[in-house]
Amino acid sequence: MPRSSEFRSSAVLGLIAGVIVIYLCLVGIVGAFSERNVVTNVFTLGRVMLAIPPLIVGYLAAGRLQHRSIVGRLVAGGLAGAVGGAMLGLFLLFASAVDIRDIFLRVSPDLLDFIAFGQDPAIGAILNVVFGAACGVAAAGVRVAPPRWRRPVVAGALGVLITSLLEPFLRPRLQEFELGAVAKLLYESHGLTIASAIVVFVVVAAATYLWRPTRARLSRRLEQADPSTQNTLRWIGVLAGILFLFSLPQLAGPLLSQVLVLVGLYVLLGLGLNIVVGYAGLLDLGYVAFYAVGAYLTALLTSPSSSLGWGLPFWLALPIVVLGAAVTGLLIGAPVLRLRGDYLAIVTLGFGEIARILFLSDALKPVFGGTQGILSVGAIFGVGTIDLPILGWRLTGPTLTYYPLLVFCLIAGFVAYRLKYSRTGRAWNAMREDEDVAEATGISTVNYKLLAFAMGASIGCLGGAVFATHLQSVFPGSFNITVSITVLAIVILGGMGSIPGVVVGALALIGLPELLREFAEFRLLVYGAVLVLMMLVRPEGLLPDYVRRRELHEESGPGSLDATPGVQVGIPE
Amino acid sequence: MSERMDDQPRDSEPRRGWTEEDAGLVTGQATLDPEENGRILMSAVGVSKTFEGLVANRDIDFEIPLHSIVAIIGPNGAGKTTFFNQLTAIYAPTSGTITFDGVDIAGLKPHQVAELGVARTYQNIRLFHNMTVMNNITVGRHVRMKGQWFHAILGDRTIRQEEELTVERARELLDLVGLRRSVEDQLAKNLPYGDQRRLEVARALASDPKLLLLDEPTAGMNPGETRTMTDFIARLRRDLQLTILLIEHDMKVVMGVSERITVLDHGEKIAEGSPTEIRADPRVIEAYLGKQGESV
Repeated sequence: MPRSSEFRSSAVLGLIAGVIVIYLCLVGIVGAFSERNVVTNVFTLGRVMLAIPPLIVGYLAAGRLQHRSIVGRLVAGGLAGAVGGAMLGLFLLFASAVDIRDIFLRVSPDLLDFIAFGQDPAIGAILNVVFGAACGVAAAGVRVAPPRWRRPVVAGALGVLITSLLEPFLRPRLQEFELGAVAKLLYESHGLTIASAIVVFVVVAAATYLWRPTRARLSRRLEQADPSTQNTLRWIGVLAGILFLFSLPQLAGPLLSQVLVLVGLYVLLGLGLNIVVGYAGLLDLGYVAFYAVGAYLTALLTSPSSSLGWGLPFWLALPIVVLGAAVTGLLIGAPVLRLRGDYLAIVTLGFGEIARILFLSDALKPVFGGTQGILSVGAIFGVGTIDLPILGWRLTGPTLTYYPLLVFCLIAGFVAYRLKYSRTGRAWNAMREDEDVAEATGISTVNYKLLAFAMGASIGCLGGAVFATHLQSVFPGSFNITVSITVLAIVILGGMGSIPGVVVGALALIGLPELLREFAEFRLLVYGAVLVLMMLVRPEGLLPDYVRRRELHEESGPGSLDATPGVQVGIPE
Repeated sequence: MSERMDDQPRDSEPRRGWTEEDAGLVTGQATLDPEENGRILMSAVGVSKTFEGLVANRDIDFEIPLHSIVAIIGPNGAGKTTFFNQLTAIYAPTSGTITFDGVDIAGLKPHQVAELGVARTYQNIRLFHNMTVMNNITVGRHVRMKGQWFHAILGDRTIRQEEELTVERARELLDLVGLRRSVEDQLAKNLPYGDQRRLEVARALASDPKLLLLDEPTAGMNPGETRTMTDFIARLRRDLQLTILLIEHDMKVVMGVSERITVLDHGEKIAEGSPTEIRADPRVIEAYLGKQGESV
């Protein structure tokens, strides 16, 4: 059995879990999520929120005692969870006895009733200790299990959670494809049924369990295949990926397509900022300025009711927009050439705000329309709806915007990829690492900084252009500082300089909150927590860009690159 | 002869480089053009530098003949680094002119001087730490490459060839400085100290410089490593037809390897000449070594 000091450390973990759980209750996350069923009549998303901290500390507590017996580790996990549950129980008793709603509005009787599992506060407190302990033991059990089993269990649980969260999107789609029966089997009053939860869990877990050996076998098979077959297979893969991306809105439906459009916009912005921040190391906190310039230029050129009143078609306006944004990039880049680090960040932050205030200002109202913005921006293909006769698809709203956006994202990703592994990309990286040395090595830091700003601006303005034509109007309110912060958070979360990282970051920070409508209120809170956690746990981001290289390196094997025709010189003695 | 710059016997594999046999690998044995001999590659005339009234360099005349190894020495705070930084155009001289290969470098940016053919290393190693070893060297070749951003996006064929040649060339440089080719995908910051010094030299050589400026190349080395380094410097000059300027704090290092030594003290040139002359110069002994006159 663990020693007393080890118990103490588990208990401390439990205390941390307790603090987090109480915090989640106080700010109202638990209350907001308690309405949302995960498995109907069994547990809600609010309960999941209460379970996550004990689960995590249970997992950590068991992980700390690797040298102990399994029972000891389970006990440690259970203890950590129980302490967390006990704290929540005490909070429950306290809040039931003393009315603290004057300070904490969210601590309503409903919430307390929910925490107490609908029981008396005293019984509820005890139930919470048991619940916390159970979570802790379960998580410890997962930690103790061999990885082969651990992964399927976690994946299965996540599968259940995500399937239930997708309910508002999935159910209408299933009904549309005349699979209403499946929807009925799967869902019951906005949550999974018990049976379907079990089925989803088992299916996902089994798939995960079988996936690894299958993948290993497939990749071995692929390696043995001759190069031409490999090439064909690669092309088939790329083609399948593109086909999938192109049919995605049809599968997902208008609701999810709207989410996809938002994610796509932020992928585009992220790819642009990634060049400025990730490649060239210029911390730009005013990136929204380029987004705004893209949107406003598009609106000015394409809207018949704008001050220009030209009403150009979108695709004719686009080159002018990109050029205009690139010039803006140069204009913003030029004065900040000599600034570094914090100073650069502050000044660009100012430029971002200046852009918004200019668009908002009364002085420029005749041009930009002030608070009213610009209306009736041209649609992307000139029409609101396109019918594809062959496939029978009807493209409108988000399902229509999705396609040009996808093309822009692919182009931006391609450009970013090509630049990254070129002389230009290396020069940017060198500048990021050490500006003085880069200059002394022969890199014109002035030119490359301006190039980075112009590139970032050109890609960012595409996002703005799509945004303007998607909403068919622009307002200055859409271009505030939170856009800059969000894009930066995406780049940091995904991993600075990493292209797939941007996609993952946008899916996590834009896509997930859209699935959880209740999240909207807490979005900034979650962003802050995510950034702090990332800096502590994984500062290189979710998908750092050198991991792949390292993997490739290990695959090629140490020493295999070593067969060089050099003169071998004997070691001393 | 087979001393290694870092004394840790980390791997059993024999290390190349820093040795006689390899130095000719890149360009082959070079032959000196007799007409070129004695030409002045870089010269400074009456160079002074003041920082807000504080005089860092006063009226320094200085020359580097082609294919020579020249050293600037002086105690800490003598103004060596300030002078060095003016040669690479990091600072502009307050007065005086500096010419490199017939070009007045006044008004040039450091990157333009690098393009003319001046490459340098740093006393406290300054690599691009989060870039791979390979990319550190290919960045060093930046000024000799032509690929622009639009070439990269369009996948221009001649530029792709240029990239391949650069990588090949970088691998040769790895051989030359004695780094194993297998480290090319490692991040520079993960290399041991001695290898980082080698990499810095490789990065400098990648730009095919005419003049190589080495800022205290033996800082932090033990006597054995120092001797290997000085041997390597001598071979670089001979085999790559380089001209080399050394800045040294430690007088012992430059005695063996350089033909001409300039001594700075309190921002002024106090002596100039061959190592034997410098060794005997009473002003140098007094200013640089202190009045005790410890043996050099």
